[in-house]
Amino acid sequence: MFKAIVSADTLRDTLDSVSVLVDECKIHLNDDGIEIRAVDPANVGMVDLTLSADAFESYEADGGLIGVDLSRLEDIAGMADAGQLVQLELDEETRKLHIQIEGLEYTLALIDPDSIRQEPDLPDLDLPAQVVVEGADIDRAVRAADMVSDHIALGVDAENERFYVDAEGDTDDVHLELEREDLIDLEAGDARSLFSLDYLKDMNKAFPKDAEVTLELGEEFPVKMHFDFAEGLGSVTFMLAPRIQSN
Amino acid sequence: MQFAEFAARATEIEAEPADLETVALVADLFADAGDDLPVLARFVQGRVFPAYSERKLDVGPRLCREAVARAAGPNVDADDVEDRLAETGDIGGVAASYDVGGQRGLGAFTDGDDDALSVREVYDELAGLAAAAGSGSEDEKVATLFGLLTRCETDAEARYLARLVLGEMRIGVGEGAVRDAVAEAFDVPIEAVARALQVSNDYGLVAATARERGVDGLADIHLEIGRPVKAMLAQAGSVADALDSWRAAAVEVKFDGARVQLHHDPAGETRVFSRNMEDVTAALPEVVEFADAHLDTAAILDGEVVAVDEAGAPLPFQEVLRRFRRKHDVERMREEVRVELRAFDCLHAAGDDLLDDPLLARHETLADLLDDTDAVSELIVSDDPEEIEAFEARALAAGHEGVMLKDPESAYTPGKRGKQWLKRKPDVETLDLVVTGAEWGEGRRAETLGTFLLSARTGDGYATIGKVATGLDDEELADLDDRLAPHVRDEDGQTVDIEPAVVLEVGYEEIQRSPTYSSGYALRFPRFLAVRDDKDPADADTLARVERLAEKQS
Repeated sequence: MFKAIVSADTLRDTLDSVSVLVDECKIHLNDDGIEIRAVDPANVGMVDLTLSADAFESYEADGGLIGVDLSRLEDIAGMADAGQLVQLELDEETRKLHIQIEGLEYTLALIDPDSIRQEPDLPDLDLPAQVVVEGADIDRAVRAADMVSDHIALGVDAENERFYVDAEGDTDDVHLELEREDLIDLEAGDARSLFSLDYLKDMNKAFPKDAEVTLELGEEFPVKMHFDFAEGLGSVTFMLAPRIQSN
Repeated sequence: MQFAEFAARATEIEAEPADLETVALVADLFADAGDDLPVLARFVQGRVFPAYSERKLDVGPRLCREAVARAAGPNVDADDVEDRLAETGDIGGVAASYDVGGQRGLGAFTDGDDDALSVREVYDELAGLAAAAGSGSEDEKVATLFGLLTRCETDAEARYLARLVLGEMRIGVGEGAVRDAVAEAFDVPIEAVARALQVSNDYGLVAATARERGVDGLADIHLEIGRPVKAMLAQAGSVADALDSWRAAAVEVKFDGARVQLHHDPAGETRVFSRNMEDVTAALPEVVEFADAHLDTAAILDGEVVAVDEAGAPLPFQEVLRRFRRKHDVERMREEVRVELRAFDCLHAAGDDLLDDPLLARHETLADLLDDTDAVSELIVSDDPEEIEAFEARALAAGHEGVMLKDPESAYTPGKRGKQWLKRKPDVETLDLVVTGAEWGEGRRAETLGTFLLSARTGDGYATIGKVATGLDDEELADLDDRLAPHVRDEDGQTVDIEPAVVLEVGYEEIQRSPTYSSGYALRFPRFLAVRDDKDPADADTLARVERLAEKQS
């Protein structure tokens, strides 16, 4: 059983955070909210999302699991205006999702969850450095790095209490530094890891530009990037595995 | 087995030049394969799925280059990979030359999990990749390959993974080596393995059966409705070849169509496969309808699909191609090009494999099965060349391509291009022509006549038809020079006029109309075959015969 009403904005934010990484996903319809965990086909990037039942106008669910084609669902959500409400109801018999937006009714065929890539185990990460920045700062760093390279190094200089970004191209380089006072928060610890910009650019699309994003970093370890949405009732964590530099 | 272990073995096999040693190494690999035996029996040949399977990776070189580039590291793009590939031509070597394992997967940071690739995981990932279809599937394929490459810890893993994906292992292991290695590893006769492979085309199944159930198990592998086998193939040959080898020849029309293998299950579906075992059922609905209407028992038939006109007469092969393998507009094209089945062999009927039955018995079974005689090839058995020629003349007159000659006693051997089936090629016609002129040779041959003008007999003289200068060695040239010298009538610079005296047998590929020679014809690619000592100019071929031959070839 699943029946819920949610604002179009919240629904779109939810879907967009996952669709930057995968085309299809499983959605757990728990009694206290929904949960999505997905990994890209190369097992390099992962998203872990929860949206509390309190973020919905109304919410009834009892622990079901559905598989959805994200771009299809995004298209439907795109039919709603910003403030409009979207009503979702699962038909258990036909395994279809009925979606109503004002007078519009859309019946969405679901995907067999077993045909979707298995949900990943969460890596067990104990990361020494934590940086809290505005989403816009990451956007700036990613765009600058993208001008010269397809990889980006994220690091924390513990001694000088700095967060820095390096990108080395064939000819040109980019370096960007943020001091403690430029940051919302910093837990200093030595950290530096290199990441594929292909993935980070996609994840960057999901970051709210005007809100806090928390980065957790280590030495040649995955980065965890966390932010809240839907007024704190939704939570997204991206994880991205590093490229190890052999020299 | 870990994929690294397989890659190490493949490296060893690739480095082994001797065939017997190669088979021994593959046999060792199979003996140690455990549960991965079926997969490894294919991987060593650069195959992920059985040859008959519809599953295909559908990964081209471009996607592979992209995946390698993504794994290769900072600032390497597909063009860089292509540049390296242009130098070596080996995607495996290129993949191994980069640090593809530099990008880690998240699996490497999950507690307790070993992130090293196993053979099984490579297979499972590639199977998942093969299932990807539709929009976005290319990206997903690249991402999956990229993910596999990032988990390669050794250069050898990257090398053989990239080669496997493109279907070319380059380790010198073909079907024969795998067959012999299965026999060696599990101590079963090679013939038993070969037979099981012929009827199943499934190296994994055959290897596992040989290991678990030995020679008895292999004998239990039979044809299966829905699992295609390779088509038996024919060599080129003549009526003389056929009648020299067999007591009589079975003669059939050679249809100008597309070879198909039809599998009919009365309780299930009918499927049609191409000679490459590709499923072409969807493109040929009327063949399926025909089989459903005219067959009432399980059967595997071999035949051709031909395009026919309103009257049922055959149309050229190009028309069939408009239908074959078509995925779209099948119904519309069905209106435009009518196709029909012409069956000529029966591999399986009502639960019995007939491969070992003699050809004539199989053909009889075929005729019994199909209650439509138009769809069954007409077959005569004859040891009389004239009767065969008459049959061929009828076949050609009806618009067919020619005739097939088959050994009436022969078994059906899938995939073999043996001497039991012959495509009759037209006899190479030769002409006996009179030398009526010549030209002095050039360079080294300036001292002898080098090019000879040939003529055919007409009612009252000779008409030129071509020049022959090839096919003669120095000795033959000197000999001809001696023979012709007494008959030289006149010389004008390079050219020499010669009175008709010497007859040459000449081969050619075609007779063309031509204004160059007085006969109005010219020989294409004429070549000297012999001096006809036994013939006088009066015995040489006539222009009338040349005209008849020209007529026949059009």
